[in-house]
Amino acid sequence: MTDHGMTMTKARPEHAGGEPVLSVRHLTTSFRTDAGSVTAVDDVSFDLMQGETLGIVGESGCGKTVTSKSIMRLLPDHVTTYGRETEVMFEGVNLARASARHMRSVRGDKIAMIFQEPMTSLNPVFTIGWQLDEALKYHTDLGRRERRDRGIEMLRLVEIPNPEERYKEYPHQLSGGMRQRVMIAIALCCEPDVLIADEPTTALDVTIQAQILDLMNGLKEKLSTAIMLITHDLGVVAQVCDRVMVMYAGRVIEEGPVIEIFHRAQHPYTKALLESIPKRGNKTRGKKLATIPGIVPSLTNLPPGCRFEDRCPFSDGTRCRTEEPALEQGPDDRPVRCHYPLGSDRERPARVTVSAEPTAQEAQD
Amino acid sequence: MIRRLLRSRGMVKFRRNRLALFASGVIGLYAAIFVAIIGMEIYDGIAQAVGGEAKFSLREGTRIRVLPRQTPGFLESQTPSERYNDIRWHHQRMERIFDRDLESMDDPWVQAFNELDLAERKLQRAELGEILARWEAFDEAFLVLDDLYLERDDMLDLVGSIRDEIADLRGDLRGAEASEAEEIRGEIAALEEELAPEVEYLAEVEPEFFAQEEIARGALLELMPMPTGWEGVKYGFRTFLGSDVSGRSIACRAFYSIKVAFQIGFVVAGISVLIGTVLGAAGAFYAGWVDAIVMWLVTTLSSVPYLVLLVVLAYMFTGSTLFDNPREYPELQLVKLYTAMGLAFWIGTARVIRGEVMKIKELEYVQAATAIGFGRVYILLRHVVPNTAHIMFINFSLLFIGAIKSEVILSFLGLGVSGQPSWGTMISLAKDDLSNYFFWEIGSASFLLFVLVLAFNIVSDALQDAFDPRHVS
Repeated sequence: MTDHGMTMTKARPEHAGGEPVLSVRHLTTSFRTDAGSVTAVDDVSFDLMQGETLGIVGESGCGKTVTSKSIMRLLPDHVTTYGRETEVMFEGVNLARASARHMRSVRGDKIAMIFQEPMTSLNPVFTIGWQLDEALKYHTDLGRRERRDRGIEMLRLVEIPNPEERYKEYPHQLSGGMRQRVMIAIALCCEPDVLIADEPTTALDVTIQAQILDLMNGLKEKLSTAIMLITHDLGVVAQVCDRVMVMYAGRVIEEGPVIEIFHRAQHPYTKALLESIPKRGNKTRGKKLATIPGIVPSLTNLPPGCRFEDRCPFSDGTRCRTEEPALEQGPDDRPVRCHYPLGSDRERPARVTVSAEPTAQEAQD
Repeated sequence: MIRRLLRSRGMVKFRRNRLALFASGVIGLYAAIFVAIIGMEIYDGIAQAVGGEAKFSLREGTRIRVLPRQTPGFLESQTPSERYNDIRWHHQRMERIFDRDLESMDDPWVQAFNELDLAERKLQRAELGEILARWEAFDEAFLVLDDLYLERDDMLDLVGSIRDEIADLRGDLRGAEASEAEEIRGEIAALEEELAPEVEYLAEVEPEFFAQEEIARGALLELMPMPTGWEGVKYGFRTFLGSDVSGRSIACRAFYSIKVAFQIGFVVAGISVLIGTVLGAAGAFYAGWVDAIVMWLVTTLSSVPYLVLLVVLAYMFTGSTLFDNPREYPELQLVKLYTAMGLAFWIGTARVIRGEVMKIKELEYVQAATAIGFGRVYILLRHVVPNTAHIMFINFSLLFIGAIKSEVILSFLGLGVSGQPSWGTMISLAKDDLSNYFFWEIGSASFLLFVLVLAFNIVSDALQDAFDPRHVS
């Protein structure tokens, strides 16, 4: 899958001097809970360029979804607080501080979102057409006829057969893949500048997944929409993303173009993630699939040092435990949050000394 | 929304349930009667508003006398003396009219005879002389019947008392000694001897009485013939279940009560589902202080029994010219019922809707709607509430029937409907005469109520099976 995906990856667009569509700075999202404040996303910054696909990768509970929902401000207001320095700049307005009214004008029209579960993302009591029409009615001033034509055109664009017929059907009459296409059609019908796709293919089977990803790739080129793709599936990342941001326990730990991440991962976690993908070939034949031991630390009880320390095979047991690394330029000239980034031979052996068994290490202490 | 519901999977499942379809048909029949009555009343109302005359006067029809008091309907029988009493009743009210100086009236039909009308059954239209002659005939026949009745009555009393005496003596005989027994036997023989001619005489009088009864009845029919044709059908409908204590048509009252019942059912279920949905959905959707207020209302109101609430409201409305004036505004008289039941019944709906909305608001399509940019109120009304339609549906049908049943109980207690018939008032009026085998008043009201409630329960059950997500397989 990975290898296949690599060949499909589009050339990275030149965005060195371009203006970002969406610029996120120091995004910090906390929830008030009974056990105190929990910071689910901690100081995340990134830029999203026009026509670019940014992948956000990480395992469950690392803050990917909270990041996307924070940008859209979809989290429940009464329990959510954003950090003081949080800036989500879109068209010159900080969305983290924008009024509810402004958010309504941005959502759907400028920034659209697709959800993970196509089975429940469409309202079961209304037809596909009604739901498309509703979004168009809200954000455009097209007439009834034009809205209908545009809706059917959108369904055709997302490659739904017989769009005129489907337009009149209810969600339960469509398969999961069809529904996800409808979701994409609804999200794209107002031609948003940014599309946030929160695990759009997780609930679909692999053939449908490939079709949906192809579709998103094609639409991105046609409509020049910037896509923020949230996933835990590195195969998906390889297939569609230009740039990748790896998250762990609410923090960005590594960022860079997709080819560089895949070939020269700097962070041990990224490396471990890549190794846990099943591969074909003689090298891996007969061996067990690599896994990452342990679980993501609880957000209510974060270690003082590196958050990946207790699962990291390269931990030095001292500095890694007490001092949290900053997100700095690594040896590959890409940001990485590690005291001892991988990637260059001269630095690497210096810190593989202590232990490859973190749990045993802990027991001795 | 309804059209979409009809095509949904639940509806298909519902349509497969034969019993439920039949029950829906029964409800449809009731609904048709309800709509017809409402339609006729509206027609009358408009006609009267523009200065015309009411054509149907249905409510009037439930008030007028159509028969002597407590005339039996079909399957009920009358004793000879009850039959005699009916003829006497006719005679008495005619006597009052015919005693007047009819010949000096300009138009005795308008000035006197219309008082005799029993709905469609009217005094024979003929020349005054002819009518008076017929009256003479009826009067004569009745006087003979009256004599015979009194004679028969005396004879019956006498025969009855002698038979009682003989029965007593026979009782004594059982425990008596031989000497005494002989004496008692003698007494019995004497009494039996005495009884024989009386019984013989009664056997002569009785056929004579029955014959005379037929004659008097014939004379009465000459004077007040049974209506024929369409009028006859209408009169037949009015009388087929007999009359109540005041001689009013039980059939009219029982069927008119469908309108009252449906009216109360619709209004109360409508109010309750509306309030329940709005408050329950708002509470669940907005959470926080909105929810706190809703839940406070729910717990507070659910701890007040609605009978008490109704008594308080009845007390509040007492003496009001608008709301306590059943003669002139029988519809407004129901307001206190609507208020009390509406305040009591929305609570259940609110609870269920609140729970459902709490579930729905976490679903992704609600988030998706937010992501499209819709406002909170819009999402609540257009995306969340339509998804509770099945619950509203089920609750409506349950509350509808609940309100009708409550109305019957309240009217039975004297707290409910007045100024128009209702099943509750009918049952309440009939309860004393049930021991006289006079069952149509209570029977028709209970039967109509029973069939309606049963049909509704079957339909509600089928709806629940078809639409409640926990039952949908």
